[in-house]
Amino acid sequence: MIPLSRALESSIGRKFVMSISGIALVLFVIVHLLGNLTLLVPDGGVAFNKYAAAFEDLGPFLYVIEMGLLAVILIHIFWGVTVTLKNRAARKKAYKEGIKTKGGPSNMTLLSANMIFSGIFLGIFIVVHLWHFRVRKVTEAGKIYVEGQEMTNLYGLVVEAFQHPGWVAFYMAAGLVLGFHLRHGFWSAFQSVGAMKPEWSGAINAIGMFIAVLLAIGFLGIPLYLFLM
Amino acid sequence: MSKLDSRVPEGPLQEKWVNRLHEIKLVAPNNKKGISVIVVGTGLAGASAAASLGEMGYKVKAFCIQDSPRRAHSIAAQGGINAAKNYPNDGDSVWRLFYDTIKGGDFRSREANVYRLAQVSNNIIDQAVAQGVPFAREYGGELANRSFGGAQVSRTFYARGQTGQQLLLGAYQALMRQADEGSVEILPRREMLDLVLVDGKARGIIVRNLKTGDLERHEAEAVVLCTGGYGRTYFLSTNAFNSNATAAWRCHRRGAYFANPCYVQIHPTCIPQKGDYQSKLTLMSESLRNDGRVWVPKKKEDAKKDPKDIAESERDYYLERKYPSFGNLVPRDVASRNAKYVCDEGRGVPPTGRAVYLDFADAIDEQGEDTIRDKYGNLFHMYHKITDEDPYKVPMRIYPAVHYTMGGLWVDYELMSNIPGLFVAGEANFSDHGANRLGASALMQGLADGYFVVPYTIGNYLANYDIPEATTEHDAFAAAENEVEEGVKKLLKSDGKRTVIDIYKDLGDVMYDEVGMSRTKEGLAKAREKIVALREEFHAGVKVSGDDGFNKMLEVAGRVADFLELAELMAVDASEREESCGGHFREEYQTDEGEALRDDENFSHVAAWEYNKGGDPVKHKEELVFENVTPSTRSYK
Amino acid sequence: MAQESMTVHLKVWRQSGPEDEGEFRTYTQEDVNPDMSFLELLDVINEDLIKSGEDPIEFDSDCREGICGTCGCVVNGQAHGPERGTTVCQLHMRVFRHGETIVVEPWRADGFPVIKDLVVDRTALDRIIAAGGYVSVKTGPKPDANSLKIPKPRADAAFDAAACIGCGACVAACPNASASLFTGAKISHLAMLPQGKAESTRRAKRMVEQMDEEGFGACSNIGECEAACPKEISIDVIARMRREYLKSMFTSH
Repeated sequence: MIPLSRALESSIGRKFVMSISGIALVLFVIVHLLGNLTLLVPDGGVAFNKYAAAFEDLGPFLYVIEMGLLAVILIHIFWGVTVTLKNRAARKKAYKEGIKTKGGPSNMTLLSANMIFSGIFLGIFIVVHLWHFRVRKVTEAGKIYVEGQEMTNLYGLVVEAFQHPGWVAFYMAAGLVLGFHLRHGFWSAFQSVGAMKPEWSGAINAIGMFIAVLLAIGFLGIPLYLFLM
Repeated sequence: MSKLDSRVPEGPLQEKWVNRLHEIKLVAPNNKKGISVIVVGTGLAGASAAASLGEMGYKVKAFCIQDSPRRAHSIAAQGGINAAKNYPNDGDSVWRLFYDTIKGGDFRSREANVYRLAQVSNNIIDQAVAQGVPFAREYGGELANRSFGGAQVSRTFYARGQTGQQLLLGAYQALMRQADEGSVEILPRREMLDLVLVDGKARGIIVRNLKTGDLERHEAEAVVLCTGGYGRTYFLSTNAFNSNATAAWRCHRRGAYFANPCYVQIHPTCIPQKGDYQSKLTLMSESLRNDGRVWVPKKKEDAKKDPKDIAESERDYYLERKYPSFGNLVPRDVASRNAKYVCDEGRGVPPTGRAVYLDFADAIDEQGEDTIRDKYGNLFHMYHKITDEDPYKVPMRIYPAVHYTMGGLWVDYELMSNIPGLFVAGEANFSDHGANRLGASALMQGLADGYFVVPYTIGNYLANYDIPEATTEHDAFAAAENEVEEGVKKLLKSDGKRTVIDIYKDLGDVMYDEVGMSRTKEGLAKAREKIVALREEFHAGVKVSGDDGFNKMLEVAGRVADFLELAELMAVDASEREESCGGHFREEYQTDEGEALRDDENFSHVAAWEYNKGGDPVKHKEELVFENVTPSTRSYK
Repeated sequence: MAQESMTVHLKVWRQSGPEDEGEFRTYTQEDVNPDMSFLELLDVINEDLIKSGEDPIEFDSDCREGICGTCGCVVNGQAHGPERGTTVCQLHMRVFRHGETIVVEPWRADGFPVIKDLVVDRTALDRIIAAGGYVSVKTGPKPDANSLKIPKPRADAAFDAAACIGCGACVAACPNASASLFTGAKISHLAMLPQGKAESTRRAKRMVEQMDEEGFGACSNIGECEAACPKEISIDVIARMRREYLKSMFTSH
């Protein structure tokens, strides 16, 4: 038996944590995107606001879920940073002329070898995004009556934000970076927990690619759509 | 009387080893902890011996010149390992394996040793399988066998073309397990440069730490030398760049007899030399001769032509012509010698004229390219990569190269040299292959010695002999270290025009020309003169740059200095052995048909040479007694 | 086949010892035979250096046929040079261009300290094997080899993992200097065979701990190791190592 604390310290254990938290986040992001699709319903925001209101109805449970989600994000970031720092420390004297890929089975790209940078960008995005819609939902969003019920007009906040090209660009970039992060991350999560066999790797890779592209299109498409509307 | 007591046990051949094992004195478990054993070299013999001795409870120090014990040149063995398992049920037995091996060695090896080798061969396979060596298997899950030269049964076990690698890794892993247990200390990047004797018994070694250049003294109750053969005396060979005879030679200088140095195996199917920048040659597995046809043009004038332009009727398939019954599958020595003859006649093929064709066109026509690819795909790939020629389209070019040395330090039945406490195992000793080694027998011998012989017989020495007390502070250690230090300094001081490699290449040329596949009295005398001259030139001033730290060329210089002495002994031994046997072919001694002519009356002995500083080496004979087999003439017509 | 001889410039890392800072030095060699191997080119350059009294370029090499795993350096940013499934001793000059400048660096990883020039210390790999890369059997009588039947596909798969030559190219090529392919190969070879099953979880635990202790990085599934591996060992062995490690979290040994 390996005590959990020791396992989590090991190079393999750290990657387990990255893998499981990563998969959890992918699931969240998929749900998030599905919900966001209500923004596309041409009903002046009714569907979206109802969707948002559904969360409010959860009451204190919402906080529990939000805290849980935040914890997963923080774990993913913390372990990601530690793994990266340890990995960099494994080669303190870098190649003077760099290394380049031999191709073939290698997945080495600037992005796969630098997940930390796409990760940092996404981390910053999350902070901005939380302020932008989660905090401002409470502090700035107006109220609206839908079918006789008072609701927070999150839709208004969103539509207003995406009138500014800067915000649109920022959100589109985040969608794109998320796609790239998952392009390597999704497949990698399976490999990291050993849930990978050579026969499956093609399929899992394809699914990863599919999810990455879909999420990227979804997340960069919505701001663009709202901007162009 | 004679110092050459082979200590072969009495009794019937089949019972000798069993009886000896029963008689052997055991060392009490508690005492073993206080006894240290030095093992030099970590190839099949060394790694298996060190691991086994560690398991038994001895304090073992394992030395190797490489950066890791796993790199020893056993790793490069391709073909396989023989054992008398008789799994294919083709009538094999311990007796047959024994007989094939002793006949293959042209009746120049010790019966009892060869029989023991055949006896333990099966244990080796069991041992390797238990270690997880991934041998080739049949679909039913049983072990697969293949045929190899010199046998009519299928008894060779293999792991693709990397049998040596897998067996060595098995032994290496067993060794590393002992390292983890603390019973074996691994000392890589150390070169043994002297043997330390106290009261005539081996009590330690001096090594140079190749990483730092420091000299170190190591003491032990016994020393096991497993340092491989001396094929690199020829400069170009299939041996690894760093393979060398230094440890063995320095033991010889301390009194260990060197036996049958003239027995060298020259392997017929190697990739020919292309340029003088080469430092080694690459072996192509002998199995290629199963389907490839060897030929050269009939006429000298055609030699330079593109093989496509040489009509079938103008080709000389000389092996098929001269040896109709064995054809292209004649033993290694016969195939090699005939390649040399046709090239000497000027019929060798480009670019150097020292090559013959090995042609697969007919086999591809008959069996289809896919079948040939299945059988030899990896070899063809390797050939293509090295030569940039596609053997599916053009005939391969091959030429013989030095591959293995049957001679080595003299040992008795218990693998102890004439120096008490100095054991020699694997290719480094002379024991089991006589004048010619059969394919797939080298791995068998290395592991037999290391797993199943030395670990037991060493106990017999430790329990029976009175071993003198000594620490590394003993004068003998200081004296030996001084001598080594002087030698190293001398090499660094000399500053001539020619480099170590320049002189080494010249030595190689002399050896190939005169002490190679075909030898004559005059040639050997000439070789001796040239070797002495080269040695003088070397010591008068060879150019070595760098300092006494990490310095690979300094290492090579020390080894070449020893090769320059060993080469002379090889020429002397070849000259005095006035017969032809196995790999040793003297032109004066051949049948009317040009085949080797043995002289059992005068030369049925082991020639064990004693070092004689400044004078001619002194020969001691160990007569070979054949109680169970009758020497016959090898014929492959 | 018979190409013209070529001229190449070699920009080689020279470092006189472990403590030395090190620097690149450039050597030009004319009349290079395209059939030469890369290490033979270094031999030729070294002969000239020795003749002019300079220190030759130190590099490790032994069998020169791609099986001993002794040689290895990074050539133009790639471990063992541009060809796949090749050690640098089997890399031939014909893959380079006439007039090309070839950059040569040692394996770089904290687990592989430089000894001199292109020579590095790879004893960390031995220590990883010592931690558990074996089946714990003693020399001595064993059951008959055929008493244990192993299906051919399984034996072949175990062989594929066992083909590792321990050269360290996987570490050198990995952006994280991870030794996972090396460690995974041995864990997989033995875990796939019934002989090695009994102690497979203990083995995984101990070997992984040793690998971490040696200062190698973690695997982030980039797969460059597989591309650089002269024996083309699949990163599937890394997945298997992780499964074995995961199992060892829940089994007693």
